[in-house]
Amino acid sequence: MIVDLTAILKGVPWTIALTLASFILGALLGLPLCAMRLSTTGWLRLTSTAIVVSCRSIPPIVWLFFVFFGIGNGLIAMSPFTAAVVGLGLVTAANMSEIYRGALTAIHPGQFEAAKVLNLTRSQQFRDVVLPQLTRIALPSGATYLIGLLKDSAVASTIGVTDLAYQSYHISQQTFRGLSVYAAAALLYILLSLPIAWLSRWADVQLRSRVSR
Amino acid sequence: MMELLNLWKGWLPELIDGYGLSLEVTALSLAIGIPLGLVLALAVPAKSKAIRFPALTFVEIGRGAPVLILLQFVYFGLPTAGLTLSSFASAVVALACCTGAYTSEIIRAGFEAVPYGQKEAALVIGLNGLDALRFVIVPQGLRVALPALLGFSIMMLQATSLCFTIALPELVSRASNIGSTTFEYMPVLILAGLMFAVICIPATLFVSVLERRLGRHAVR
Amino acid sequence: MNSIASPFLESGPAASQRAGLTGEPILCVESVSKTYGTHRVLANISFQMQVGEVIAIIGPSGSGKSTLLRCINQLEPPNEGKVTIGGVTIDAGSPVSRRDLVALRRKIGMVFQSFNLFPHLSVLRNVSLAQERTMGRSRKEADARSMDLLARVGLADKAGQYPARCSGGQQQRIAIARALALEPEIMLFDEPTSALDPELGLEVLAVMKELAVSGMTMIVVTHEMHFAENVSDRVILMAEGHILEEGPSAEIMRAPKTERAAKFLSAVRDR
Repeated sequence: MIVDLTAILKGVPWTIALTLASFILGALLGLPLCAMRLSTTGWLRLTSTAIVVSCRSIPPIVWLFFVFFGIGNGLIAMSPFTAAVVGLGLVTAANMSEIYRGALTAIHPGQFEAAKVLNLTRSQQFRDVVLPQLTRIALPSGATYLIGLLKDSAVASTIGVTDLAYQSYHISQQTFRGLSVYAAAALLYILLSLPIAWLSRWADVQLRSRVSR
Repeated sequence: MMELLNLWKGWLPELIDGYGLSLEVTALSLAIGIPLGLVLALAVPAKSKAIRFPALTFVEIGRGAPVLILLQFVYFGLPTAGLTLSSFASAVVALACCTGAYTSEIIRAGFEAVPYGQKEAALVIGLNGLDALRFVIVPQGLRVALPALLGFSIMMLQATSLCFTIALPELVSRASNIGSTTFEYMPVLILAGLMFAVICIPATLFVSVLERRLGRHAVR
Repeated sequence: MNSIASPFLESGPAASQRAGLTGEPILCVESVSKTYGTHRVLANISFQMQVGEVIAIIGPSGSGKSTLLRCINQLEPPNEGKVTIGGVTIDAGSPVSRRDLVALRRKIGMVFQSFNLFPHLSVLRNVSLAQERTMGRSRKEADARSMDLLARVGLADKAGQYPARCSGGQQQRIAIARALALEPEIMLFDEPTSALDPELGLEVLAVMKELAVSGMTMIVVTHEMHFAENVSDRVILMAEGHILEEGPSAEIMRAPKTERAAKFLSAVRDR
């Protein structure tokens, strides 16, 4: 039993790495995507809407297969890990852009006006006024999404990433102790999500304490 | 372009077959899972610990474990304890449990959105706890939860794509088969993606329209 | 105020009729106190009520008026004190049986500031539901009785509609019909017109006046000074959780004894 546990633990660093990498990629890409969604230029808005809608209407596994077998096989050679990061990063970007969009509409319009009349440049307006408020409002949804991403990352095992799900599958096939192996894996995923929940609550409190009366 | 369309025409029957299976699994899991979610939504806030603890554990595990792990637990794990289910049955069991866990939270939030005055009104006209739930809280709570439940159903359809890993011949598994035999991965995956989009996009649109309409007739 | 045979009280509750004849109070509030955390909202409130009396409770915000009402029907159980209605006593000091609680609630009808009609049920069903479930009436019986009550409050034509289609004043009148459907011995009104435009409030006050004239025992928490002075028999003026003044309405409203009461009344009058 302990042997099984140590064996599947080998997959945990991969799971963590995959989750963080895709999240960072997606959180960053989500910003320009969100900007495109809110742009006044028609074709930018259309393209970005098409990207966001298709990323959210098609299951992640299809995207991963598409990137790994579709693009990876023919055009560019990529490791399963890279393909998984790209695929999950894309889906994350689409979801995060929606979260940003929601957060922006929650910021009082007066803030944007005040920033403008203070003669701040566009990038200053964004960096000093919008971004801090955006981060505070988007944090809870973002953290919830991150926990979901942690669980979705298991999908990468289907294209060969040696993460927690991958190890669980192979150990269970070898030892025929599937019940305990998968139960342990489920528990590990739950344990991994706890620090995210705690961190996000702590960060939320920190950020709120500075703004609430 | 014509070549692509011809390829697609050739693969369509096989993919539609697989898609039918995906839809079947989704429908069954929802039909079992949502009533289960209703039961759990009532059990989780119960006063009796004997009811609350098992319900809470079920919900936490159902929501905390990845769907892939749940599927593989039922299909690969249970046989080692003596219970062997077909891939279809395993898919339905795992996804129904997952649905129950997630929807219990959605429904519970719906109940809590019912204004407190409604519960008080039910009390003062003498309705007992069960009647208050049945006639006042649940009908209103479910109305509030409806858009979220539909949104979840759409996600469930997408989740059936993971059943590929437990040997269920649904849409993605068929597409992957065609891909590995013809090496035309991109075309077949694009088609599979489009097939998902064809249901998921209008469904998502419908849910947002529904949300807006329900918001208009909201409880004053 | 005698119990005149009235459309509102077809079958006057036996206990209250008895009480009216023997002079026993129908409601007895003894030393009721309520504390939220460290904040004492009600301090040692005691008063009694006879059958057919109409009491108006007035006072500044935060004086505990609504809390007192809610303590009487145990929506908020008091921390100390006893409430006795028509023979049923709930004592904060001893454990309350479910049966006593239900028996107490059956004797009380309550009308809320925010009406609290069930939005997913038709107006008729709103009034009939509790009759079927708690009084064991058949659907037909309950609906017939509901139509009677709706006619009395002037809204029989709204029976098939849903609350959202009715104005605030109409909704509150329906709420009154719903409370009356259970034939309570006492009706409690928690600021029934505060959420209404003055115009719509008048229709509700008219219904309440008719109810009072027909002999219903009522306690009304209100800011409507005209109602307090002209319709109610007695006025209880509360401030900061205490009863500041109590007595016949004409007396209290026109010649308050304390300075605090006088200040409150003149401020409210000037509106």
